[in-house]
Amino acid sequence: MSEPARRTAAPVRVLVVDDHPMWRDGVRADLEADGRSRVVGEAADAKEAVAAALRERPDLVLIDLNMPGLPGTTAIRQISEALPETRLLVLSASAAEPDVLEAVKAGASGYLLKSATGAELTDAVQQVARGEPVFSASLAALVLGEFRRVAAGGDEGEQQLTDRETEVLKLVARGYAYKEIADRLVISIRTVQNHVQSILRKLQLNGRYELMRYAIHRGLDREED
Amino acid sequence: MSSAPAGDRAAALASGPQMLATGVLVIRWALVVWIGVLSLSGAPNLPPVPLRVGVLLLAVALTAAHTARRPAWSPPWLLADLAVGLAVAVTGIRYPSFASVFPAMTVLHWGAARGMGAGLIAGGVIGTALISARLWTGLLPDATGLGLMVRTAADAVNLVLAGAGIGFVATLLRRSAADLADAQAAEVAARERAARLTERESLGRQIHDSVLQVLTLVNKRGRELAAQQQVPGPEVARLADLAAAQERTLRSLILRPPDELHGDDRMTSLRTALESASQQFASDLDVQVTAVGESLLPAQHVQQLRAAVEQALHNVVQHAAARHAWVFVDDDDTGVTVTIRDDGRGFVYDEPRLRADGKYGLLRSIVGRVADLGGTARVDTAPGRGTELELRVPRGAGDHDNSARQEEP
Repeated sequence: MSEPARRTAAPVRVLVVDDHPMWRDGVRADLEADGRSRVVGEAADAKEAVAAALRERPDLVLIDLNMPGLPGTTAIRQISEALPETRLLVLSASAAEPDVLEAVKAGASGYLLKSATGAELTDAVQQVARGEPVFSASLAALVLGEFRRVAAGGDEGEQQLTDRETEVLKLVARGYAYKEIADRLVISIRTVQNHVQSILRKLQLNGRYELMRYAIHRGLDREED
Repeated sequence: MSSAPAGDRAAALASGPQMLATGVLVIRWALVVWIGVLSLSGAPNLPPVPLRVGVLLLAVALTAAHTARRPAWSPPWLLADLAVGLAVAVTGIRYPSFASVFPAMTVLHWGAARGMGAGLIAGGVIGTALISARLWTGLLPDATGLGLMVRTAADAVNLVLAGAGIGFVATLLRRSAADLADAQAAEVAARERAARLTERESLGRQIHDSVLQVLTLVNKRGRELAAQQQVPGPEVARLADLAAAQERTLRSLILRPPDELHGDDRMTSLRTALESASQQFASDLDVQVTAVGESLLPAQHVQQLRAAVEQALHNVVQHAAARHAWVFVDDDDTGVTVTIRDDGRGFVYDEPRLRADGKYGLLRSIVGRVADLGGTARVDTAPGRGTELELRVPRGAGDHDNSARQEEP
């Protein structure tokens, strides 16, 4: 899958956030060997991550969720609000963590398992930097579950999936690659990607809507006091 | 930590008898007051003043001594009690209404302190002394003498019964306190066991967070090193395999559902069960379990679906020549759908022909399991396209099916 470095554009500037120095070194080695990206900073926790992101304004933040101190999700939310151009990619030890869904709702463009190979990591970095979400099968399943809950809740302020988007999500959750999905649905890969992007956008809109509703609720409670 | 249950046990053991000790002391002080009232009153047939005062002082002193040592029972003071009780009974034989009070205290105290045997002994000793003293003072050969003898004998019998009675209560209390303490100890042990399980789970998560990451890294870097020319590839790869095996073991340890905690009627997570089930195929196949949620179902249903998925994956390993398999658990308000997909060679799905070739058995078994839950199975395959097996179980329908079946003999 590894793309030749045909793009002569500047390398993707990456901030690596993980509490394990050994892990950061490994990621740095992978990214530097690849040559399509450059590590411009490292951080060991969420607070440092936000500070480093505001300082370096990287193209992409590669972030672990399980770190001491503030949750990684908080850093993701703050970075994606302050720097809308900066993409976020989550590196997670487990696929099934509910944190992963929260991270994507907070603004991450996808996530990668830590067991991914160096090539998978560098490809994912390029993909996310281009603005394409990295949706693994397990994330797709979690996202589908999230929209099921949204549909059952019946809140009109929340975005619902179209039938086609649900269909695409189900296929991703069953492990089909975009190409296979395109073949099965007799559409172009580009269309599949558009569907996935639209799903991610709706998910993040719902995340923001929930936060806002929560804030208004809290605010109203406070006024009553 | 182990001292906590022991302390609980001691406390439980003490509480019953402690109440008894307090009760006996209260009765004793009441009787002391009664001796005092009797001594001061102008009641007929009282002993001379020095004897009255002496008995009252001794009663106060001994009761105070017992009170000071409560709730423990000290043998010297119990013996002193018995000695005084005997002396009062014998010297006061002519004044039974006054002199019978102190021995009653003694016998009560012995029974409460040392159980039924001690109560019987104290009652027996004082009773025997009473009867002996009555005989010693000489029996008048008339109705009055006989009456006195009968009364003394009744006093003696009462003392023995009182001692035995309170002793019995004391023994019973001690035994039930022991039972209670055992029950509490068992409960504490159960709580500790639950705490240990929780601890194990959190340990599992910690392992997941740290050790697993490092293992994954070693695995990954090892493989990359093995791919380079200048390093001894096979050896590094073997190292990587070792790390991968460790990783799998740890994962299965973490993912194994705590079966021993759940009865069959409990709701359990289908996702967890299928994640755990897929582990056993890890050496032959890369199986990924994805799920929209936990999908909590009755444990029996989870078991059936798990068995069906295991059979399906077994089939994939045996026949499909696949490298990857995906198990997807979808769950909406109508039911649960489990999809088992592989990227293997696929086959021509022709049921009659499969039957004729004797290859339908496994599929039938899977379909049967799903049908037992009121569900359906669907196969989607073609040569070169992999196989997708979809198991659909409506929510709640399985319960009806089970109850209907139970009604049949």
